[in-house]
Amino acid sequence: MSTGSGFRSLADQLRAWPDERLSHLLLARPDLAAPAPQDSGQLASRAATRASLVRALDQLSRPELVVLDAVVVLQHASAEQLEDVVNAERATVRAALERLLDLALVWESHVGLRALTGVAEALGPVSGLRSVSATPRSPGDVSALVEEVSPAARAMLEHVVDAGGEAISSARTTVSVAEAATPAEELIARGLLVPRSGGPMTVPGEAGIAVRGHTTAEPVDVAPEVPTSPRARSLVDKVAAGAAFEAVRRVELLVDGWGAAPPAALRSGGLSVRDLRATAARLHVDEPTAALLAEVAHEAGLVTTAADPDGNPAWLPTDLFDTWCGQPVAERWAGLAGAWLASDRTPSLVGERDPAGKVWNALVPELVSPLARETRRMMLAQLALLPDDEVLAAGTGVPGLVARLGWLRPRRPRQRTDQVVHALTEAATLGVTGLEGLASYARALVDGGDPVPWLAELLPDPVDHVLLQADLTAVAPGPLEPALARSLQLIAEVESRGGATVYRFTPATVRRALDAGWSAAEVHGFLASVSRTPVPQPLTYLVDDAARTFGSIRVGYAEAFLRADDETALTELLHHPKAGTLGLRRIAPTVLISTTPIDVLLPRLRELGAAPVVEAADGSVHVARPDQLRARTPRARRPAAVDARESARAAAVARAIRAGDEAAASGRSSTQLTPADALAALREAVETSTSVVITYVDNHGTLADRLVSPMRVEGGQLVAVDSRADETRSFAVHRIRDVRPVER
Amino acid sequence: MGATVPLSVVSDGPLIVQSDKTLLLEVDHPRAGDARKAIAPFAELERSPEHIHTYRLTPLGLWNARAAGHDAEQVVDALLEYSRYAVPHALLVDIAETMARYGRLRLEKHPTHGLVLASTDRPVLEEVLRAKKIAGMLGARIDDDTVAVHPSERGNLKQALLKLGWPAEDYAGYVDGEAHAIDLDETDWELRAYQREAAESFWHGGSGVVVLPCGAGKTLVGAAAMAHARATTLILVTNTVSARQWKDELVRRTSLTEDEIGEYSGSTKEVRPVTIATYQVLTTKRKGVYPHLELLDARDWGLIVYDEVHLLPAPIFRMTANLQARRRIGLTATLVREDGREGDVFSLIGPKRYDAPWKDIESQGWIAPADCVEVRVTLPSADRLAYATADPEERYRLAACAREKVGVVRSLLTKHAGQPTLVIGQYLDQLHELADALDAPVISGETPVRERQRLYDAFRSGEVGLLVVSKVANFSIDLPSAEIAIQVSGSFGSRQEEAQRLGRLLRPGAPGKVAHFYTIVSRDTVDADFAANRQRFLAEQGYAYRIVDAEDVGA
Repeated sequence: MSTGSGFRSLADQLRAWPDERLSHLLLARPDLAAPAPQDSGQLASRAATRASLVRALDQLSRPELVVLDAVVVLQHASAEQLEDVVNAERATVRAALERLLDLALVWESHVGLRALTGVAEALGPVSGLRSVSATPRSPGDVSALVEEVSPAARAMLEHVVDAGGEAISSARTTVSVAEAATPAEELIARGLLVPRSGGPMTVPGEAGIAVRGHTTAEPVDVAPEVPTSPRARSLVDKVAAGAAFEAVRRVELLVDGWGAAPPAALRSGGLSVRDLRATAARLHVDEPTAALLAEVAHEAGLVTTAADPDGNPAWLPTDLFDTWCGQPVAERWAGLAGAWLASDRTPSLVGERDPAGKVWNALVPELVSPLARETRRMMLAQLALLPDDEVLAAGTGVPGLVARLGWLRPRRPRQRTDQVVHALTEAATLGVTGLEGLASYARALVDGGDPVPWLAELLPDPVDHVLLQADLTAVAPGPLEPALARSLQLIAEVESRGGATVYRFTPATVRRALDAGWSAAEVHGFLASVSRTPVPQPLTYLVDDAARTFGSIRVGYAEAFLRADDETALTELLHHPKAGTLGLRRIAPTVLISTTPIDVLLPRLRELGAAPVVEAADGSVHVARPDQLRARTPRARRPAAVDARESARAAAVARAIRAGDEAAASGRSSTQLTPADALAALREAVETSTSVVITYVDNHGTLADRLVSPMRVEGGQLVAVDSRADETRSFAVHRIRDVRPVER
Repeated sequence: MGATVPLSVVSDGPLIVQSDKTLLLEVDHPRAGDARKAIAPFAELERSPEHIHTYRLTPLGLWNARAAGHDAEQVVDALLEYSRYAVPHALLVDIAETMARYGRLRLEKHPTHGLVLASTDRPVLEEVLRAKKIAGMLGARIDDDTVAVHPSERGNLKQALLKLGWPAEDYAGYVDGEAHAIDLDETDWELRAYQREAAESFWHGGSGVVVLPCGAGKTLVGAAAMAHARATTLILVTNTVSARQWKDELVRRTSLTEDEIGEYSGSTKEVRPVTIATYQVLTTKRKGVYPHLELLDARDWGLIVYDEVHLLPAPIFRMTANLQARRRIGLTATLVREDGREGDVFSLIGPKRYDAPWKDIESQGWIAPADCVEVRVTLPSADRLAYATADPEERYRLAACAREKVGVVRSLLTKHAGQPTLVIGQYLDQLHELADALDAPVISGETPVRERQRLYDAFRSGEVGLLVVSKVANFSIDLPSAEIAIQVSGSFGSRQEEAQRLGRLLRPGAPGKVAHFYTIVSRDTVDADFAANRQRFLAEQGYAYRIVDAEDVGA
């Protein structure tokens, strides 16, 4: 990238790039790719729009911003010059410059590296230096001049540089070195302070660099230290795995509870405060944790809104939940953690007030932040960089981490501390981190690997037995195998949860098992098979006692009953050869029931020779047991392969741009330009500082060609020097019909 | 936060820490004993059935531990040391926070201002000062961190602060009281190890409650405490018979003579260096005042003993609030109050200083093992109908007094012929009916004390083999010869009554004695429901009930 080679414009440079590099740009700045630009000219133009620039700049780290600032200050710099003026290791500067080139924020012109138009404005003050003067003196000369001046003048110079490079002074503006009487005049005489007509005096960039030695006084490549304290990796893993296990268990409990009693979905789409509080109480957690679990369950697709049986919107488990429940704990955790990491939601704000003073409900759609995902990823990536057996130090670790993220993304200061603290809390709750350190299995999550086998090793093995006790409790000393847990939950009530589960048997729970079709013998058999210890006598008695009263009253369906004092008449009817289809059954000597409705039954009975009388009108009651409710899993799930799809798309867009370039090269086909094309052409003219002919529709509706030298494009206006009038004028971009290069 | 929490890496411990603040201890684990020792100071033993014991972490328990000189670090250490799985982080934080609440406020003796409430944490003091409940108890503000306290409000203030969640540590000390020489007279017996330990941990703690099973010799713990105090002592007991027993025991086991011990009850009103008073006489109200209250100030008592502290009536609580400068010891077998006033016991009498599981004492041989059986009788159809149609408030009485129970009692008596037996019930009609049917004497509230004493003596000597008793025999009656108890009805679902009744049987008698405790219950009625509730305390102490049908009793 010597000054000898170089390109006319960014568009030119893009045309020369290999396809992969173009794809890379489109991936790094995805806003450029949608909709697909027609050709490189349009792509370059789009890259220079303020919105796109701001998004690109937001991704830069502190050294990259300083290098970019140096490019702006130096105007036409070589890479070597940059390395000299930026207060950082040369390698760092080179890497930063490479990234800036990749992001198309800097391009190589014939005369040196140039920042894209608009960058200077979007960037704002970084070093606070002004641009170098049009004909910069060599750094050595300027340094010599700075050395010459009196201490007072140097102090003044330093002060002005630090204050933004501008000063107002009543000093004489035309003095020679010899005549200079005041510090200001000393500086003016040596060209270190440049007077401007009607405005404040400025310090040219080269003078600022000479004073500071670099564009910035302090080195910019030293990342803020993140304080750590020693903590064994195994311990971090243990604590995190414990939290991971709890998180999975609690999510299951939460969603399962919502299946039985769905909380209403608010009109705004969220969960009411009351429902959140009830859920939190049920899970034995505080409300922020409950909100986090609900949000994660939602992100993982385990709950969604659907109509409850009454047709009101409610939060229901999806059918994915049933699949999820059948997976091993580690896999279930990976699903939750992945969903959390990819989510742009900010559950930590639940319960806080929005700017209008309204309390945020959990699960409301507005509760998103574009920065949430990035903050989480970067936070985890930084934790992954901590040395082995070290975790964030108590007290100072978190501020250190915040400072580090601030250094990596200086342009995102708003609510940074809050977001990092929230992300850390969430990570700890979900078991991604433990004791403020990243769990070893979560590293895989950050690198896109599979955390499941790592985590599975840390989780307690499922147990296949319980300990039955005479106080009618059963204790499972670890996580139970799912099938066993389901059975046990049927015949006993869960009393305490955690690493172990305590179940209590009551007559009601045993009856519930009998209701579900178990026989007393089956219950006894089950208890004997799952218990490591003999089944206590009171429990055996309890089961028998429940079975004794179970079913002593029978209930059944019947469409009609037939009652007669004459038992033989009923027997006769029951055994009548033509009565088979009537579904008659004898439930007492003098009572028959029938499954045939009365209106059919009556004529049929008469056909059979009986003379029935209708005793009562209708008496049938339908009892339906409301089942567990399930909604369909929403389609719009973010699949894991989304990144692959994005890169495939970027490649396709890159190919489309190439095709556009070729079409353009083969001759300008249409005279009618789209506004986008016009803008692209104008921007290119700005970049290359060339004049173009534009066809402009003036206020009277007449078309006229004008030869202009574009200066900048902003806010729908082209600012250009009109060569005919020889003055700077603004043109509305939408009135420009055509842009043509000047034919020579 | 968690980072200050020390951790150790151990897996496969005997303890499982649940997120609802219960601790499950696997009894058969090789390290279970160590774990029990480590968690006993701060966790309340809730249930101790055969395999897994359940402990619970409560603020009261944690503050108890703080009062006994343990800190949060030790608690967290113990949990992590013995826990099998990762301990929920939130729980550790919660423990540290709860324990940090104790002792932010201190009651102290100020050289010039007398009793003061002091704090090193000004916001807490400010918060407390603004509480309405506290308003009348405090005097002038002495400086930013100190407030004067009316000496008479010492107890009430402690009670109120506990309710606010900022329990105060009481450094104000105790008055020595009027000295009086009391020594244990251990010539033909010896204080058991746990009794000595209990008395000592009480003495070092200043004031507090000692929990020991029925029959484990709580009276001797009281006597040992008196020997520590060597001062005039007021002993508060439940009833006159119990008062006599205390007196006999003290004369036998200590250097005290009969003349030094006074009885203050309905019939006699003596005030001596050691005075035994009944709750009843103290709480008697005449014309709106308690005429016997001055007993509390009659002497400069150095120690106050509360027997059966779980029964302490509300007026005694109020009086105790004024006795905070004197040492107090509470004795009970079951620190379960059906009215839920355990917090008042903590703040007014003191934290729990000693606790021993029943089964531990039993395994040491100090109390007799017991076999608990629930006998279910089926009501005949007519009675069931009567029961089903009765008013809800009449139902328990109907079910409990079922006539079928008489037959069961009879067959149980036949089965255990010759063994001293108590038949215990709630309803006088039922008791008289039983007494008539069984031809046995009845002891109830109507029986004169002299007659009661005579019957008890006759029972002890073996002259009478069967007694039918009402709830007057629930507490503090020492009948070591009793081997069989048959409970026919009780006061609804009272857990402590059940435990106390079993306690009548546990006094160690002849070697190899196995007590039998029968509860007769009407099947499918509220009687059975109440029985289930009543048995909870004992089941949780490891007493497994067998359930048999009435027809199988004879077998």
